[in-house]
Amino acid sequence: MSLQLIRSSIASVFLSAFHFLRVILLRLRNGLTYTETPRRSMPPPKFYHDDEAWKDVEPLPQDDGGMHPLAAIAYTEEYSEAMGYLRAVMANNEFSERVLELTEHIINMNPAHYTVWLYRARTISELGKPLQDEIKWLNPTALKHLKNYQIWHHRQTIIDALGSPEGEADFVSQMLEKDEKNYHVWSYRQWLVKRFDLFDKPEELQWTESMIDADVRNNSAWNHRYYLVIGGREGKAPSEAVTKREIEYTKEAVRKAPQNQSPWNYLMGILRAAQLPKSTIKSFATEFADIQSPDDVYSSHALDLLADIYAEEENNKELAEKALDLLATRYDPIRANYWNYRKGLLSQPEVAA
Amino acid sequence: MGPSQPASEFNYARQIKYWRRNLKTYLPHYYTGNDANRMTLALFTVSALDILGDLDGALSAEERQGYIDWVYSCQLPEGGFRPWPGSNFGNRRNDENKIWDPAHVPGTFFALLTLVVLGDDLEKVKRREILLWLNRMQRPEGGFGETLGADGFIHGGNDSRFGYMATAIRWILRGDHEGPYGDVPDIRLDDFVTCVRDAESYDGGISEAPYHEAHAGFTSCAIAALHFVDRLPQPPGQEPDGRRRGVTNLSNTLHWLASRQTATLEDDDSVDTFDDETNTANTCHDAHSFVKVSAYPTVSMESTVGSQPKVPFDLAWVGMNGRCNKIADTCYAYWVSSPLQILGRMDIISTKPIRRYLLDKTQHAMGGFGKVVDDPPDMYHSFLGMMVLAMFGEPGLQNVDAALCITERAKKHLESLPWRKEAIASIKSNGVNGAGHKSISQVAADRMQIDS
Repeated sequence: MSLQLIRSSIASVFLSAFHFLRVILLRLRNGLTYTETPRRSMPPPKFYHDDEAWKDVEPLPQDDGGMHPLAAIAYTEEYSEAMGYLRAVMANNEFSERVLELTEHIINMNPAHYTVWLYRARTISELGKPLQDEIKWLNPTALKHLKNYQIWHHRQTIIDALGSPEGEADFVSQMLEKDEKNYHVWSYRQWLVKRFDLFDKPEELQWTESMIDADVRNNSAWNHRYYLVIGGREGKAPSEAVTKREIEYTKEAVRKAPQNQSPWNYLMGILRAAQLPKSTIKSFATEFADIQSPDDVYSSHALDLLADIYAEEENNKELAEKALDLLATRYDPIRANYWNYRKGLLSQPEVAA
Repeated sequence: MGPSQPASEFNYARQIKYWRRNLKTYLPHYYTGNDANRMTLALFTVSALDILGDLDGALSAEERQGYIDWVYSCQLPEGGFRPWPGSNFGNRRNDENKIWDPAHVPGTFFALLTLVVLGDDLEKVKRREILLWLNRMQRPEGGFGETLGADGFIHGGNDSRFGYMATAIRWILRGDHEGPYGDVPDIRLDDFVTCVRDAESYDGGISEAPYHEAHAGFTSCAIAALHFVDRLPQPPGQEPDGRRRGVTNLSNTLHWLASRQTATLEDDDSVDTFDDETNTANTCHDAHSFVKVSAYPTVSMESTVGSQPKVPFDLAWVGMNGRCNKIADTCYAYWVSSPLQILGRMDIISTKPIRRYLLDKTQHAMGGFGKVVDDPPDMYHSFLGMMVLAMFGEPGLQNVDAALCITERAKKHLESLPWRKEAIASIKSNGVNGAGHKSISQVAADRMQIDS
């Protein structure tokens, strides 16, 4: 090995250590700022003024409306410049390949720019770009901006035009791995179910079950189950068989974790949709909260339900009152004011629902 | 509560500093993702200083006029406002490119409020154009969108956020009486109410769309919107007037709102929910350590049976979550308290521990409020956190209107404007069902009287 080679390899070892440290330092510094997601690798800033492909465009700088702008932001030079070029091409209604790249650049810095998405959609359609390519680009973009509204609107537009939900279930699962209760993702899943009529597809219910199995407290998953079982029925009551299946399924989930409000709420929802009285599950509720043995309460939600059931029964107002007292003083004091309010309603039957 | 109990004090000096800094200096670059929401941040800034009673102190007459001018610089020639200067093409704006610089429902809502807070008389606002545009922003099924595209297509989500802002714009410009204003028709109120009712969830909350998951933000927006158009349920005992109203099951909705109080304040508290055997006193604070969770013979007995030490757990700090089984977050204290105040039912929650949670857990030493415990402050959570404290009557803060997010003073200023009084009088004299119609505040007062 020549000296030269040894030198350069030593240098590279040292330099890579330096590089490594620098990355750590950068990360630390980024960690101290308030960015929502720490950036994994910072690409170098992209500029247009010295780019041959943009030579013909005169950027349109931002007019901030005088000497006293409100909520003025310390833009980076990169963002300011890119926005200037975006205004310039938008003002000309230019729809081109370079515009696509520019919109991508802006979206990465400011995904809440509502018209850049519309402008991008129009550009794709003007250029006749394959919609699959757009979805491929959208996937990592969505993963980067988990809480953005516009991305989902855009995705719906594209998938709607594509006319097929293929691959979307996998993508949704990938998103939920990052944030299993992400509202946008569940809403999007619901849109998919509706758009492609997947209400009665067994896989959809199975998938929902697997999400509930993974976290029995995931209220989004419970709500999705309701969406499938009841939401697709256009207001019609579920069949007796379905009602029975749902009640049994939910009872099992409650037994796993009695102090989990999601399945209790779900159970109430199913009963109401099936036009069954709450008293249908009175004995089940009693398993978790027997008013006769007030020291053994396993679920405040069971007690809550029993209070409602007793209030509707003849001559059982005292039991309802007792249940509400137990909630206010022992089993759910965080909501004492609410339980006392409910107690007050017992003496005004016309007000209680 | 031991000797380490924090003071639970509103750090008035730091909060003023925080908001003055937001007013007078550039916001850090990480607000770039909110560039298109600058009008929202503008309202937060001026309204926060107003709530702090510092607006006159913070602004010279020249600055005040300068800020008013900035808001007007976002008004579009055809009426309505853009929410930021970023889409403005200046003198290159024309009929072909103006679809990329459209009037924006949140932009218009926050611009109007910002002008009101700054004491402007809205005389230069193209009010008639806005009211005409609102009609075009309403979708056939009754909800509202964000912007109008080519061929009148309504862009943006279809949820109660835009319904809240659209009905607020209507209330600001013409009050709550129904019927046309001159030759400008009213929005389709029955359809709007139907839309809200369709988004009621099985658990009593309101969601983004029919059968979607109940969420405090959408619940709050929906209830405020029904309040702006005076379509909330009538107080019990009042003669039904036959108008379509929502919410349809008020007791369920109150149950859902009260259920948002939670002692699960940190992510660590809820991490275990990935496991389905999480019903331990350690993790499930909402469930509380009060219920006998550890002794219940569950499906996988071995994991829960055994003497779990009971966590000594007091309710000194209570936050609010936005959905069932989520952790507390500063902004949801607003999104839950606001509908309760509008419904005249603030008495069903305990405001003291919520106040302590905000002051001790999410108020930041540098001023402002963070999203969750120990988070750095941001303008959104800082504003809504302070709104809640003002709604709870925090000493030193001005009285606020929970639905509009401005002080009572600013609201009175709006209500005193002559053009608005004339508009209301004109609609009232035209409208058939306007006669003898009570004001919103009268209805709320009646509701409280009857329930208490």
